Amino acid sequence: MQEQKNGGREGRESTSAIYAEDLSKCYQIYKKPIHRMWDVLFRTRRYEEFWAVRNVYLDIPHGSTVGIIGENGAGKSSLLKLLTGITVPTTGKVEVQGRVASLLELGAGFHPEFTGRENIRLNCAVLGMTPEETAERFQGIVDFSELGEFIDRPVKNYSSGMYVRLGFSVAASVDPDILIIDEALSVGDEHFRGKCTNKLNEFRERGKTIVFVSHDMGAVKSMCKWVVLMDQGRVLEQGTAEKVADTYLKRAKARGNERLSAVSRKGSEYPRWGSGEVEVLAVEMLDEHRQVTHVVQTERPYSIRMRWIAHRDTPNPVFGVGLYRTDGTYLNGSNHHWRKQPLELGAVKAGDEGEVEIHVDRMPLQHGQYYLTLFLYDHSKAAPTAIDHREHVLTFEVVDVERAQHGLVYIPSRWTIDRRGPSGTQSMESQA
Amino acid sequence: MRYLVELARSLVRHKPLVSNFVDKDLRGRYIGSTVGLFWSLVNPVLSLATYTFVFNWVLKSRWSDYQPDSQVVLMMYLGIIVWGCHAEIISRCTNTLVENGNLIKKVVFPSEILPSYIGISALVNMGIGLAFVVIGVLLFGYAFPIADPTPVGHVFQPGEPVFRPFQFGLSIVTLPLLIALHLVFSVGLGFLLSTMNLLLRDVGHFVSALITVWMFGTPIFYPESLVRDRGYGWIVDCNPMAWVVDSYREVVLFGGWPDALMLVKLALVAFLSLWAGTRFFFKNKRRFADML
Repeated sequence: MQEQKNGGREGRESTSAIYAEDLSKCYQIYKKPIHRMWDVLFRTRRYEEFWAVRNVYLDIPHGSTVGIIGENGAGKSSLLKLLTGITVPTTGKVEVQGRVASLLELGAGFHPEFTGRENIRLNCAVLGMTPEETAERFQGIVDFSELGEFIDRPVKNYSSGMYVRLGFSVAASVDPDILIIDEALSVGDEHFRGKCTNKLNEFRERGKTIVFVSHDMGAVKSMCKWVVLMDQGRVLEQGTAEKVADTYLKRAKARGNERLSAVSRKGSEYPRWGSGEVEVLAVEMLDEHRQVTHVVQTERPYSIRMRWIAHRDTPNPVFGVGLYRTDGTYLNGSNHHWRKQPLELGAVKAGDEGEVEIHVDRMPLQHGQYYLTLFLYDHSKAAPTAIDHREHVLTFEVVDVERAQHGLVYIPSRWTIDRRGPSGTQSMESQA
Repeated sequence: MRYLVELARSLVRHKPLVSNFVDKDLRGRYIGSTVGLFWSLVNPVLSLATYTFVFNWVLKSRWSDYQPDSQVVLMMYLGIIVWGCHAEIISRCTNTLVENGNLIKKVVFPSEILPSYIGISALVNMGIGLAFVVIGVLLFGYAFPIADPTPVGHVFQPGEPVFRPFQFGLSIVTLPLLIALHLVFSVGLGFLLSTMNLLLRDVGHFVSALITVWMFGTPIFYPESLVRDRGYGWIVDCNPMAWVVDSYREVVLFGGWPDALMLVKLALVAFLSLWAGTRFFFKNKRRFADML
């Protein structure tokens, strides 16, 4: 957390909380540390330039809640450092009106050897509070953080959740005009996140400005009306959340496809076993337009296609697919045999080939990354044996821009509300 | 000059922050350990014992015929704590920006308070050491005075050192000035080294070597006259820490007035050190976050 007073910034009469003009930041990357010394001593230029932020224009009015989204490395954090004044822009200028408190990263601004209490004092002092002001707010900060006895332990022993709790407690207590939060909040537990959300809403109601940074479109959309989309240091698009969401989705698909197909091409280092009578040549995911993809949207149709070829005769091969979340949670498994009305491929002869496809009308998963495992088993015996079992055969991403529900799966649902009493009788029903 | 003003302003504005750091630092040193305050006595005494053993007994270097060993011990002790303060400041300052990178990189942090608080913290440490010196002077100057070892009827040659008893004098009023110049000199170097270490991390290794060499180049464990007699007087003449140690001894132990010319030289060097140090520091300060 940190705060900075509007140190007599002059010039433009502005009503904006944050105004940035042609803002760029170039980092100097040195191949060898000694080059930096030479540059200082002899005024040479032995570095390579890395433009983390390029030509950014921002105009954030007071009282607005703005989201900044972009993938990792898009320049969000570099932009925030410029806005907060931690780093100095290479070109352009930033004007900030009012006190800024920021929650940039986990444990940012904490001294690892200091206890929680000492860090609160330290931070309050960094924020320019007098000892009296600090004393006044101290207990409130301690209470809000709910750290219990941990408040007297060095923060180096804290869990990441505790860091966030302490950091947020201090940042919130300075009563800033502008609060900048860098996705740190997602670390806390459900209870604390709720408290934070309340606090943020309270801020918003009091007309404070909030800048919220995330790579998760859904999270940003639920909080912010105005969204700034960044990519490779530039502002790709800024506007209402709905407007930016489309661009974001397109890019997420393109990026996801690029990355994940690169992963697939690399060849699998995951286990594969089986007797090999039939070989699965390729496993592909298809979107609603029958295009090969690695990115699917929640609630949209998709298919998984397996191309196979038989090398030897086998009596009854059955294709199946397992669906996992990246942490290994087994979400779903099915094959074309274990159904109320089994579909049978029957005996295959050497040289046969073809495709097997599973069609899903609605992707039930929500935002996240998942993977598939292929099961090709011989079901002619009592206990099926593996013909071609391929772990982790395909990685894919589900994006959810609507973010109508939380959690792992999307459950199509309908709400009804009934009311009776002095205000009349009323029945309402939401659409499915 | 502008940067000195900037430093002063910042220190005034961030007074609570500075006291926070000093407080934490001293607490960590004295309260965290079991014997606390005792360590600030034990450490110098241990090195005193070591060096006395090596210099006085193994190498048989004598300070002077008319300076009894009991006096030498306190003189060495004073030298050790004064040097210790200087060494602590420059070595800790060298690493302080890197150590506090978390603060500098992630928040708008007034990094100039770091060398400053180290100076203050080291001063408090030295103050505790000085208190023991004062007790020593009271004991061996007043309570149990050390006897003059000069043989009765000894005829002094011109320039021959004379036994001087431990005592306090009016000259003690120059002690605050001396301490101030000493700190300004060390902290100025601290500003310079802390910034250089960001530019080139090897500076840290260089400083630890420098401290050892510099220490033996300062008359702490041997009398200044020894180097002069052997023709290495320039080492002492060019070494501000030699002036500092010498002046402390004169003022605190013997109640004499420090050499005026030396004080003027020291003042000039100290000012130059702080001026150059803060200039280099503040000129690079806006890039600190990028360099970490």
